[in-house]
Amino acid sequence: MVARVWSLMRFLIKGSVAGGAVYLVYDQELLGPSDKSEAALRRAEEVVPPAMYQFSQYVRKQTGLQIPQLPAPPKINFTLRESWNSGIIKVMSALSVAPTMALEYSKEGWEYVKERTK
Amino acid sequence: MSESDLGRKWDRCLADAVVKIGTGFGLGVVFSLTFFKRRMWPLAFGSGMGLGMAYSNCQHDFQAPYLLHGKYVKEQEQ
Repeated sequence: MVARVWSLMRFLIKGSVAGGAVYLVYDQELLGPSDKSEAALRRAEEVVPPAMYQFSQYVRKQTGLQIPQLPAPPKINFTLRESWNSGIIKVMSALSVAPTMALEYSKEGWEYVKERTK
Repeated sequence: MSESDLGRKWDRCLADAVVKIGTGFGLGVVFSLTFFKRRMWPLAFGSGMGLGMAYSNCQHDFQAPYLLHGKYVKEQEQ
C-alpha cells in the first residue's frame, strides 16, 4: 500500500518536472521561429550575468567564500569575410596583370642580358 | 541580398541553432532523468531534433530573401 502510494508520488513528481520543462519551453517560445529564439537568447544574456553576480554575493555573505569573477571574454575583431574578400581581390588583380608584368619583366631581363653581353 | 543582410541572417541562424540544440539537449536530459532511466538516447534525440529544426529554419530564411524579419525593441518607459 505504502509502496504503491510512494511509486505514484514518484511518478507524479517526475511527471510534473518533465511537464514543467515542456511548458517552460513552450512559454518562452524556444523552439519557435528564429526571431523568437534570438529574442530569448538576448533576454538570457541580459538576465544571467546580474543573476550570477547576485548569487556570488549571496554565497559570499553566507559562507565568506569569494567566487572569483570570470574575466570578460576577449573581443576578437578578426573579420574573416574582410580578409577573404581582400585575398580574393588581390589574387584576381595579380592574375589580371600577370601577362603584362611577365612581358615587362622579360623585356627588362632581355635588356639586362644584352647589356651584359655587349 | 546585401552583405549586411546576409551577415545578419547567418548570425540569426547561429543563434537559433545554439538555442534549439541547447533546448533539445535540456529536454533530453530532463526526460532521460525522469522517465528513461538515465539512458543516453533521449539526449541524442533531443539534440538531433533541435539541430534539425534549426537547419530547417535557416533553410527557409535563406530561400525566402524578401521576407522581412522584425526586431524586438524594448519598451522605453515614458
